[in-house]
Amino acid sequence: MIRYTLRRLMLLIITLWLLSILAFSLNYLFPGDPLTNMTGVRTSDPLLYEQLQQARGFDHSIVLQYTNYFSHIISGDWGQSLVTQRPVFEDMQVFFVATLELSLLAMSVAFLAGVPLGVLAAVRQRKLSDRIIMGVSLSSYSIPVFWLAQLFILLFAVKLNWLPITGQINPLYNIDNRTGSILLDIWFSDTDYKLAALRDAAQHLVLPVAVLAIMPLTMLVRITRTATLEVLQQNYIRAARARGLSEPHLLWKHALPNAMQPVVLQLGLQFSILITNTIITEAIFNWPGIGSWLIKGIYERDYPVIQGTLLTLAGLILLVNVLVELYHAWRYPQVRKELYAEH
Amino acid sequence: MNLLDIRNLSIEMDTSQGPIKVLDKMSLQLREGEIHTLIGESGSGKSLLAKAILGFINPRWRVIADRLWWNGSDLLSMTPAQRRTITGRDMAMIFQNPRSYLDPNSTVGEQLREAIPSGDLEGLFLRRRADRNTRVTRLLHRVGVKNHDDVMNSYPFELSDGVAQKVTIAMAIAHKPKLLIADEPTTAMEPSTRAQIYKLLERLSVSQGMSVLMITQDMGSIIPQSERISLVYCGQLMESGPLEEVTKTPRHPYTQAMLSMSLHDTDKMEPKQRLTGLSGAIPTLQHLPIGCRLGPRCPRAQKKCVQQPRLDKVQEQLYACHFPLTYKQSDDKPDAPTQPKSSDSDKEQ
Repeated sequence: MIRYTLRRLMLLIITLWLLSILAFSLNYLFPGDPLTNMTGVRTSDPLLYEQLQQARGFDHSIVLQYTNYFSHIISGDWGQSLVTQRPVFEDMQVFFVATLELSLLAMSVAFLAGVPLGVLAAVRQRKLSDRIIMGVSLSSYSIPVFWLAQLFILLFAVKLNWLPITGQINPLYNIDNRTGSILLDIWFSDTDYKLAALRDAAQHLVLPVAVLAIMPLTMLVRITRTATLEVLQQNYIRAARARGLSEPHLLWKHALPNAMQPVVLQLGLQFSILITNTIITEAIFNWPGIGSWLIKGIYERDYPVIQGTLLTLAGLILLVNVLVELYHAWRYPQVRKELYAEH
Repeated sequence: MNLLDIRNLSIEMDTSQGPIKVLDKMSLQLREGEIHTLIGESGSGKSLLAKAILGFINPRWRVIADRLWWNGSDLLSMTPAQRRTITGRDMAMIFQNPRSYLDPNSTVGEQLREAIPSGDLEGLFLRRRADRNTRVTRLLHRVGVKNHDDVMNSYPFELSDGVAQKVTIAMAIAHKPKLLIADEPTTAMEPSTRAQIYKLLERLSVSQGMSVLMITQDMGSIIPQSERISLVYCGQLMESGPLEEVTKTPRHPYTQAMLSMSLHDTDKMEPKQRLTGLSGAIPTLQHLPIGCRLGPRCPRAQKKCVQQPRLDKVQEQLYACHFPLTYKQSDDKPDAPTQPKSSDSDKEQ
């Protein structure tokens, strides 16, 4: 297991390194001056520009320029935004937490609802409840996120007026944005209306989380159903049933853990899709996360921001995938055997 | 009294070609503590018989029997719930490919602990836990696993075939069944492992008074400790009786053919001598011959064989054949066929 962990971590580091090369090359591929793209400093002062060039190693070869760039990235100097002139790395931390809050909530909703629904559909195979679950999941799987988001806003926010349309919280509550996560912010704030603020924030969360969760949820339902059906036909399940184990015990102790084996691997893949959808959803719901920041950056040709968000999102997806694989190998020992024929 | 008494059990399934009897008037008697070996080629319905005893038959198939008695009570007239109680309490089954009968993602110990019936445990809470563990250890010792801690902490894929089969046997005998059905438990196992499993089954049958119904494919893998054997061909019982008598003086041509195919006496054979065996192949379910199903392949078959023979009895030995092999007193060589072989057209049935 240690060997496997090390190998996965090596892979993570190498991929991140390749990612940094890609980000570095983007500075040259984007239109405009590479130095401006990299630092976000737009100056007409030739003296300052020359200083910058020297600081960034632009009077040396491209390899040295890269090492220079890399050390800046590592030390947390990701340049500054061309539009707001604020440091990208600092802004990114706040936006990142907001995105993380949204996507993790959506993923948990998808997992907590999708897996039980999938198991239920498998247990009640070809019965009415199975058909309803599969029908609804297939049709919602085929609806694109941007359209679904607007439908939800129209229905729940505009027509029925149950939920707020966009944003993180009603500005009346006057919560300082410190961590990026609205729930944490409220928790650590010293407002007198904590509970009311939390309630309001939760209401703001409902629509974007629901929109985001639907895609992975439907996928999880379908994968869980297939996996459970397959496991239920295995000899050890039938033998355990013949030995007289109760059906709930059988499902919980033997069927579900084995059915989760392929599902766990899917979680990593689903997370990548979820992040893509987060970008769209954040833009629609005006959620102050990385996604809407990225889209704003693209509109405003803010290259340092585009670069920073790209690094963050790709890094996040890679990290989540490696973590999922590590968990998979740790929880299911025969995976390790298949990998190395050892344990 | 017989523990299990089956008389004329037939299983009928409906196919597009009409109803087919996959088991045709099978009879089987099993005494308490006896090891009985059921021999039949694949597709002969031997596993189906095991399933019929356990009551795991597809509900769309019809099970008809003059008698299906377990310990003196009629299994066929019971409600499914009653029957499940009896099978769950008194019977257990082990199979070939034991590893697929163990959950791959939980340790052997967990699965064994689960197999211990909660009613047997003594004490409360922690005492119960400890009791469960000691029972599991004892169970493993009983099936001949000495390094119980290692085995309990392993996952099934880490076990060898023999140990995995021992673990499934341990799980099967956890609730002290009266009958253990072993469906080809040693197929694809090394001879030494096979011998170990045989010895274990025999020991269990002696020490616990447990009957074992062993199902195998050929005479070569009859468990030597078995008291009686039965041969099945295409769902029909050919011959049944004590192991010694049936192997020494087979009455049925099928038994004789199976014996000669088992290559026991290779040292007596000439180099490059043709191997003996029945001509032809096992018929498919859709093309079962009428009467005695061995008919078209049988060297002794005659016109009469289109009618199914009744079971005849010589001492303890039962056989279903119109033209059985006969023996003179104290002579193990069979006589020539009682009647000369008739023309081939008779066998076309």
